Amino acid sequence: METQKIKLHIENYIGEVEKAISEPIVDRDVGRITIDPVKAFILLLPMLNGERWNNRFHTASIAVGAVHAAFDAHDSINVYDATSKQQQLTVLSGDYFSGIHYRLLASLPEFGFIRSLSETIGQINETKTIFHDQLPDGPENLIETVRIIEAGCITDFLYTFGFAQYVPLASAALSLLWFDEGSADCNSILDKRSRRTMNAADANHAIFQLHAEMQMALEAADYLQPFLQRKIRNLVTPLIGKLN
Amino acid sequence: MEKLKLLSLYGDFRKDLAYIEKELERSLNSSSPIIRQASLHLLRAGGKRIRPIFVILSSKFGNYSLEDVAKVAVSLELVHMASLVHDDVIDDSDMRRGLETVRARWDNRIAMYTGDFIFSRALTSIGEIEIPAVHQLLAETMLEICKGEVIQIDHQRKTNQTIRDYLRRIKRKTALLLSSSCELGALVSGADPANVKKLRRFGYFAGMAFQIVDDILDITSTDEELGKPAGSDLLNGHLTLPILYIKDDVNFQPYMKRSFDGTLTESDREEMLTYIRGTEAIQMAQAVSDLYLQKAMDEISALPDGDANAKKAFMQISAFIGRRKY
Repeated sequence: METQKIKLHIENYIGEVEKAISEPIVDRDVGRITIDPVKAFILLLPMLNGERWNNRFHTASIAVGAVHAAFDAHDSINVYDATSKQQQLTVLSGDYFSGIHYRLLASLPEFGFIRSLSETIGQINETKTIFHDQLPDGPENLIETVRIIEAGCITDFLYTFGFAQYVPLASAALSLLWFDEGSADCNSILDKRSRRTMNAADANHAIFQLHAEMQMALEAADYLQPFLQRKIRNLVTPLIGKLN
Repeated sequence: MEKLKLLSLYGDFRKDLAYIEKELERSLNSSSPIIRQASLHLLRAGGKRIRPIFVILSSKFGNYSLEDVAKVAVSLELVHMASLVHDDVIDDSDMRRGLETVRARWDNRIAMYTGDFIFSRALTSIGEIEIPAVHQLLAETMLEICKGEVIQIDHQRKTNQTIRDYLRRIKRKTALLLSSSCELGALVSGADPANVKKLRRFGYFAGMAFQIVDDILDITSTDEELGKPAGSDLLNGHLTLPILYIKDDVNFQPYMKRSFDGTLTESDREEMLTYIRGTEAIQMAQAVSDLYLQKAMDEISALPDGDANAKKAFMQISAFIGRRKY
């Protein structure tokens, strides 16, 4: 029952983000960008947990979805050749999705979040550039890099709208899930953006550290309904299983 | 030389522009050495700073506060810069303003992140201004610019487009940002709504003239003057106003075909440019630009004499836009 309810909320949210960022020519020639349902789940965690959720939060959450869509579009640009029509439109679609996020926040208007989210987006791009140039040195740097890139916007949203208690959980879960996406068997971790392979020992160390962080966050999350705790455990269990 | 001429027109406002230049540099400070280098590389490559000067001059028709004006002006110039970095990825350009582009010096991915970083800094700057209309206007402007560029890509190499299509495209591509520069400058200084409207219309007409002249210069200037190969628009599949005037000319069509299928040689390019320059297409396009410029001047004339220096500067800059050589 609860699983169905979560699924429905996430599907509705994804549908609304897709509708907000829809552009006819881009949709026709590039196709619709996929919104990651796991990221959506973590972003909507307070709402799914029964926290007061008003229109302001809802619009701002769609703006965060648009930012992630922009990131995904620009991360998919070929490093050396973006001259095909599909790639050219993908560059522009990312810019368009960024504009949508700003329009949504301007419509509220949510000045504080415009400022903090723009700072976070700037930091994410700085970190991506450093990562693109050089792999992080050691597990701590690796965790920090992944945390900024994967969890930056969502944790910023949670802080801004009064859901700071969810931040440790969201931050650990989103970082761990990045390793899950990048790993086939944990002998190597591939970064999808740079196509570089991480040092497996650093990556495994980082996963263990994040898992411990996640356990602590879950133990401290007495505010979280049991079905959500279970859902989060289930999300990260496959990755831990691979390490054992 | 031409740039110096333009800067001399900024006259009384150069001190304020220098402050904005410093703020631009400060806003692009980054913890990533590559982004820092790439952003400063762009900033130091210069530019006409038309958008910041339009914000300054428009603000003179209200209660002028340099601090607020700078936040808006920095933001608009950064939006413009970010779009140039991404445009170079789209057009696979190696040179801009005589310097290597970010994508050529590093790669496309670095250019994407640099553009996104600059865009984020634009919002950080304007985020300090808590006037809802300012943000709503800038957001709409950015979206319209993107839509214009999407349409431009969709129209690439399509020879059945009309002059109306072209005008609609450059409205979004260029005129809107100049129009919004004027409107935002007026809004942030609390100018009278009737003057806000006149300034917006001025920016739109001046922007249309500016882009048409830009498209003419792509054909009439040398590679050195442009800092990139002359005729780049056509080589990238973009049909500009002079090209639309001669696209049905049977002597020109083979050049156009070879530009589009990538078989145009270096000597063909020279020959093609000489051919276009010898037709009436350039004068016809210039005449359209002049019409827009006249409309821009009319809007400025209708403004109150409150700040005579701002009016004079607007007039002189508009005249320069219409006759510039770079």
